[in-house]
Amino acid sequence: MTAVADQDHTEHVDRTGFVASRKGGASADEQENGHVTERGSGVTGAEEGTSGKPVKGLPGKGPAGDDDREGGHTRVTGEQEPQARTEDHVRVRAGREQRTDVTGATDVQAPAEHDAPRPPASDDPYARVADEDAAADSGDPSEVWDDGLIARRVNEGDEAAQLAAVEMHRSAARSATTLAYDGPLRSRLDALRELVGLSRTRLDSRTLAEAGRVLDEAATRRKLSGQHTVVAIAGATGSGKSQLFNTLAGVAISETGVRRPTTSSPIACSWSDGAAPLIDRLGIPGRLRRRPLLSPEAEAQLSGLVLIDLPDHDSAAVAHREQVDRVLKLVDAVIWVVDPEKYADAVLHERYLRPLAGHAEVMFVILNQTDRLPGDSAHQVLDDLRRLLDEDGIALGEYGEPGATVLPLSALTGDGVPELREMLGQFVAERGAAARRVSADVDAAAAGLRPVYATGRRTGLSEEARDEFSARLADAVGATAAGEAAERAWLRNANRACGTPWLRLWRWYQDRRDTPSGRFPVRTQVDEEATARQRVEQAVRTVSDQASAGLPAPWAQAVREAAVRGSQGLSEALDELATQAALPSGRPPRPGWWPAAVLVQACMTLLQVVGGLWLVGQIVGVMAPNLGVPVLLMVAGIVGGPLVEWGCRMTARGPSRRYGLEAERRLREAAAGCGRARVLDPVAAELLRYREVREQYGQVVKVGVG
Amino acid sequence: MVTLDVRPQLLDTLSALRDRVAAARFPLPLAGAPRARANRDELLAQLDDYLVPRLREPDAPLLAVVGGSTGAGKSTLVNSLVGRRVSEAGVLRPTTRTPVLVCHPEDHHWFSGMRVLPALTRVWVPQQEPGDGLLPPGDDPARVLRIETAESVPPGLALLDAPDIDSLVAENRILAAELLCAADIWIMVTTAARYADAVPWHLLRTAKEYDATLVTVLDRVPHQVVSEVSRQYGALLTKAGLGAVPRFTVPELPESAWGGGLLPATAVAPLRTWLVHQVQEPGARQQVMARTAYGVLDSLKSRMPELAGAAAAQYAAALRLTSAVDGAYDSEHARVKARLNGGAVLAGDALKRWRAFPLDCTAGELLDALAGSLAALLLCAVTAADERIDQAWRREPAAGAPELAERDPSLKSAEHRIGLAVRRWRRELEEFADDEVRQLDRNVAPDPEIVAALVATVLLGGRRARSAGEGLAERLGAHGALRLRDRAGRLLGEYLDKVMHTERERRLAPLDALDVQPEPQAELIAALSVLQKER
Repeated sequence: MTAVADQDHTEHVDRTGFVASRKGGASADEQENGHVTERGSGVTGAEEGTSGKPVKGLPGKGPAGDDDREGGHTRVTGEQEPQARTEDHVRVRAGREQRTDVTGATDVQAPAEHDAPRPPASDDPYARVADEDAAADSGDPSEVWDDGLIARRVNEGDEAAQLAAVEMHRSAARSATTLAYDGPLRSRLDALRELVGLSRTRLDSRTLAEAGRVLDEAATRRKLSGQHTVVAIAGATGSGKSQLFNTLAGVAISETGVRRPTTSSPIACSWSDGAAPLIDRLGIPGRLRRRPLLSPEAEAQLSGLVLIDLPDHDSAAVAHREQVDRVLKLVDAVIWVVDPEKYADAVLHERYLRPLAGHAEVMFVILNQTDRLPGDSAHQVLDDLRRLLDEDGIALGEYGEPGATVLPLSALTGDGVPELREMLGQFVAERGAAARRVSADVDAAAAGLRPVYATGRRTGLSEEARDEFSARLADAVGATAAGEAAERAWLRNANRACGTPWLRLWRWYQDRRDTPSGRFPVRTQVDEEATARQRVEQAVRTVSDQASAGLPAPWAQAVREAAVRGSQGLSEALDELATQAALPSGRPPRPGWWPAAVLVQACMTLLQVVGGLWLVGQIVGVMAPNLGVPVLLMVAGIVGGPLVEWGCRMTARGPSRRYGLEAERRLREAAAGCGRARVLDPVAAELLRYREVREQYGQVVKVGVG
Repeated sequence: MVTLDVRPQLLDTLSALRDRVAAARFPLPLAGAPRARANRDELLAQLDDYLVPRLREPDAPLLAVVGGSTGAGKSTLVNSLVGRRVSEAGVLRPTTRTPVLVCHPEDHHWFSGMRVLPALTRVWVPQQEPGDGLLPPGDDPARVLRIETAESVPPGLALLDAPDIDSLVAENRILAAELLCAADIWIMVTTAARYADAVPWHLLRTAKEYDATLVTVLDRVPHQVVSEVSRQYGALLTKAGLGAVPRFTVPELPESAWGGGLLPATAVAPLRTWLVHQVQEPGARQQVMARTAYGVLDSLKSRMPELAGAAAAQYAAALRLTSAVDGAYDSEHARVKARLNGGAVLAGDALKRWRAFPLDCTAGELLDALAGSLAALLLCAVTAADERIDQAWRREPAAGAPELAERDPSLKSAEHRIGLAVRRWRRELEEFADDEVRQLDRNVAPDPEIVAALVATVLLGGRRARSAGEGLAERLGAHGALRLRDRAGRLLGEYLDKVMHTERERRLAPLDALDVQPEPQAELIAALSVLQKER
């Protein structure tokens, strides 16, 4: 077939073109004719089919047209139970190609016209498709399950299955034809999606743009054919991209020349059908889509390959570079073509290879124009190229390790082209390039997001920090001072209550003398702004600093904002709480033993009085002289009074301490509770959100490593 | 205009201008700063390497620098022009890592000294010996200039084989640009595969901008396509406004070769003839020299204002940073004053102590609490100011300078400094109270500590501490109380100002250390206008 058949034609057109050209070696124009005639004969064939001898398994198919797909399908699988699975594969393969063609075609034919010629025309080419697919895959037994080996056997052995395949091509099962990512990659993509969703409120859209793009592209790619691998040929101007492209295609598709830059817009070439949506995605117009020169073995080898010839990336024409940058983001794999003159160009290495180092597995580096190098210098250059690539951080796929493939080649003389062809064939047959590319994209996006998600430092709010915050709030409401004051007041009252009456008398006298001034009555009115505002502010600032330490900037900002939001009104709330939590003002409660102590003190005073009176009585002579007993009584009273007072003071110490501590504790707890509810909890929630995101990010990264 | 005599006046102004340029510094990472730094270095290199030596000694040999992309065949071209392998050529890129200067033996003295390219160490390789292994060990090969002499080079001409202009090694690129700037004649080499590359075209445009004497060589052109490629290239040059530039084409020959053979003399004969003509014809020589020299002088007209603009942008950015600091500290200062007057210090702990004073609380405890509360207020103000500054600076690209970014863990030390200041204030306050009490001639003198606590409460408590004022007046008398209060109030104000000022200075210190001044802008422009007058 002449290569320059447009992809936009349907499957049918291409095949008929193929048939026609195989017969006559026709040019493009002739091929067009061939197509027309073939179609004409097809119509007649269909008429024949409906009129008398339908192939088994497709009754009513021809006239029923598009609407009857599902029905036809079930019926057939019902009829041919034993081969159901294999048929399924065959059907899927054939159907995929058909479906993608129909959707991708720009000149869709009228349904009747489209359907009618199908049975007779398809007889030959469709069987061949299945056959070829099988042949392409037969080299890899592990692919048997998914691909055509069984189908081929069936095809070879069972005509019924083959016919079913032919018939089934319309009822395409969408999911099976599209690209399927494996489990880890899928979970990473999900994790990335979740991550983007979770952080949308915290990060600006610019930061997330790359991740969003990767997700979008992954989703888009997933919807498209998984049986095709889109490989772009990129390189500097004059390095021979188009030459290589043509060599691989076997025909001069892309214009080559000495005029620099030569190629100005990307050209696509697809080895098998159904790649139209993929090429649509690259924005390559129909007039730039080509078919390679198909020899059976070439098609078998490179089936599923979609080759894109890119413009240069280093010429003075900026538009070229933009095109390259755009397309490079969308293709599954890239062949970098370098030549001995330019292989060490800074533009290539710094602008492209280094940023794409993670994509080594979907990268070929071809040293072209080796024919220009004398003797063994090709090896030297190749080694130097390897060294440069290594410095760029690109893993080289030597000794069976995953990584970039480096190959010397001369597109002009054809040296090394078969090797490349073989490698490409293997690469395409693996069908893993798209997923690997997406995986590398996810890696790159994750690495780009690293600064906003991970800092490598420990984060979180430690218990000490929480305690410190509570302590600062307690300071702000003056819990310690209040406790001490309460303790002292209690003690003072106890002393007053249990002191000797004489002492009381003296105090009372003092009070009376000092009353106008110098005495500070314990104020009981409620102060406004009793809480130290500056301490609250400082406490909040400290705790938010501690909480946000080690967080990436956006999250640190969020934590800080949460803390500041919570601290609004905190001081007022603390004011209120402090008055509520404070001990009831006025006199502290009196313990039960105070009256007893008072009674004892009274007794002591009484003893003194009695002893004194007795003595006075003796002196006056009213009473019989007896010095001992009254003196004893008086001394007992005089010594006993202070003794009781002292004892009481000792006894009161414990309860007063408890009383003070209780007062302090109440304030402290109230302040801490208020702080926790208003500041610590929101901050902790924010931290939790970060941790969640961090875990999600870990998921995105980790699985890739494993 | 086309004369080039030694003119001491011009040289003086030029070296003054050079000093100004060397003094210009762009430490703040603004958008244009890297470019300005590169421009400054380039201009400095051009003045040092080319313009000043050339104007000082117009008789010195012409220097033709061969520049181009990697693999364009620069070394092969130089070797072929000389007729001997002076510069390594090879298939591995980048080939030329050490620039090689070739001149006639008689001209050797011009280049062995530090007249031109003073930044490069000279290595002199004796004739007839390959120059391997002769580099002084440990010397950076990029900063070395190898000098070769060859009889075949016409006297009065020196050829310099420069490293790649688009080398992977960044220093090579910079060096290549520097060397080109030192040239009287720029020889731009490109190839059939490369003539549309973007990088060489940048260089060509630069050459045009400086109006340097420029020659282009289209190297490695396969025979079959000579005419077409040459035509294409010519069209591109014309489109770029460089149509008048002499253009030489060297075909790709088997000898040219990646192996590093010499091209036959015929292949490079036109170029050689042209060069010899430029050197030996006095008129042509004058014109070549004057054109490049005056081109550079003319280019100063646009390059100096650009540098001055960058300097001004630096200063403006530094000013913005400073004003952010000043604004934050000013507003915090005002806020902390208002809070002091409002009695914010007498809250929390201090308030509780005051309520308990004097029955359940000693004067010392009250003073302690007040001092602690005051320190907290000041620290709060300082950290709030720092936070505001951080916020404001986050929007400033200039704040990303590493010197500004790394702050001492200042909170602890600020706390320490403030605590120290507050303790000192307290001690002075107690001394004041002591003085005041001693002046009293009462029989029962009040306790100075109580007086100090009361005066502190009055000062810090605002309206809330009215009763403290009463107590103070009672103890010291109305007059004494007022006097003590005024003195202590002034003291407090002083300490407040001092603390805020210290912290502000501490914050500004790294910015001041960068020393971004407004003068360079004016000086650059002034130097340029003096030069313009001198010409």
